[in-house]
Amino acid sequence: MSSLSPPVNRLITELSRLPGVGQRTAQRLAFHILRLPPEEALPLAEAIREVKEKVGQCEVCFNLAVGPRCRICEDERRDPSLICVVEEPSDILPIERTNEFNGRYHVLGGALSPIDGVDPEDIRIPELLERVAAGGVREVVVATNSTTTGEATALYIAEQMRERSPNVAVTRLASGLPVGADLEYADEITLGRALRARREL
Amino acid sequence: MPGLFKTEAVVLRSFRYGEADRILHLYTPDRGRIGAVAKGVRRIKSRFGGRLEPLFRVALVLHEGRGELATVTSASTIHPHARLRERPESLRRAGQACEAVLRLFDTEEPNAPVYNLLCRELALLDERAEAATRAQALAFRLKLLLAAGFAPELAACASCGEREHLGAFSASAGGVVCVGCEAGSFPLDRSAHEFLVEALTRPLADAPAAPESALAQADRAIAETLEHHAHVRLARVA
Repeated sequence: MSSLSPPVNRLITELSRLPGVGQRTAQRLAFHILRLPPEEALPLAEAIREVKEKVGQCEVCFNLAVGPRCRICEDERRDPSLICVVEEPSDILPIERTNEFNGRYHVLGGALSPIDGVDPEDIRIPELLERVAAGGVREVVVATNSTTTGEATALYIAEQMRERSPNVAVTRLASGLPVGADLEYADEITLGRALRARREL
Repeated sequence: MPGLFKTEAVVLRSFRYGEADRILHLYTPDRGRIGAVAKGVRRIKSRFGGRLEPLFRVALVLHEGRGELATVTSASTIHPHARLRERPESLRRAGQACEAVLRLFDTEEPNAPVYNLLCRELALLDERAEAATRAQALAFRLKLLLAAGFAPELAACASCGEREHLGAFSASAGGVVCVGCEAGSFPLDRSAHEFLVEALTRPLADAPAAPESALAQADRAIAETLEHHAHVRLARVA
């Protein structure tokens, strides 16, 4: 490492900070970047600079946004009375890919986990309750992850909504068998829920 | 020694690792608390499904390499505790139970009574919604103290052995204390004292009821004993 020049060392150090990138991978990436012509390498640096300078949080839903509001909150064709609650901005993408949801979102920024010291005030649950209490919302779809912390968050939101906005429906994404999976590998909770929520053909 | 081994475990906690993995904190009857990595478990089509979520009681096959973490190679469910997951209060109490075990028993020293106690507590919270009470949670914590070897002296003054006039609790003395040995203690009502005795002696499923004031004192007695003797500070059982 010491035989490399300081700028190369710095690039390797910065790349190795990325998740899943170790020292050896960082070196490979650095040498790959060094081999690229400037017109191919510099757009990467420019793209990083641009997202850091321009992308912030939507003031309504806390999704990623360029400007005060995200594209979904600005889109007037989206139904403002339907709010889908997700843990992270990255959870919006798979829901959008389904083309089944035409409402708006609320990004919590995590899930409740008392064991890790994450309480309701640490994620954007108060903001959600305020947003719904302001009116114009008929349904909140809780799409937190189907994990213990995600379930705990969903139960807490449902409880709070029942108290504060009893006229707003709170729904939870159904859980069941993934398409293409074998029944024999399904865990008992997933299969049990799938059986309870079976539908007539 | 590197290689495969089988064990039962309760998943106490898990957190995301890498692209689709999770690191698990497991409590086992024969190896105490161990850490393991479950590769690919966050993918929808993972063969582990939801079996490695916290609160699951599972039978595992793990591979032990040279690193600190074992790797889960197979998992089958012993008890999913599915019903408690749908009740906020039961879920909260189950989380408190796991946290207490996680913090108090953080070594690979096996302690089968702790494992059995945790399994019984989770099964109880799963079977009976009405078991998710402060009194029951305190009874569980008290029995954990017993399993850890820190059970407070409740029959006689922990300082002088006096069996009458026991009206206070001192964590540094190790239990209830009499009027003459009250220094450094806090007042413990008769109802709180009775609660501690009964909670320790009755089965977990028959935790005694007590007034809130008595439960608050019992909570303080348990918390101070944990802090003084085990050097563990747990959130109070609200």
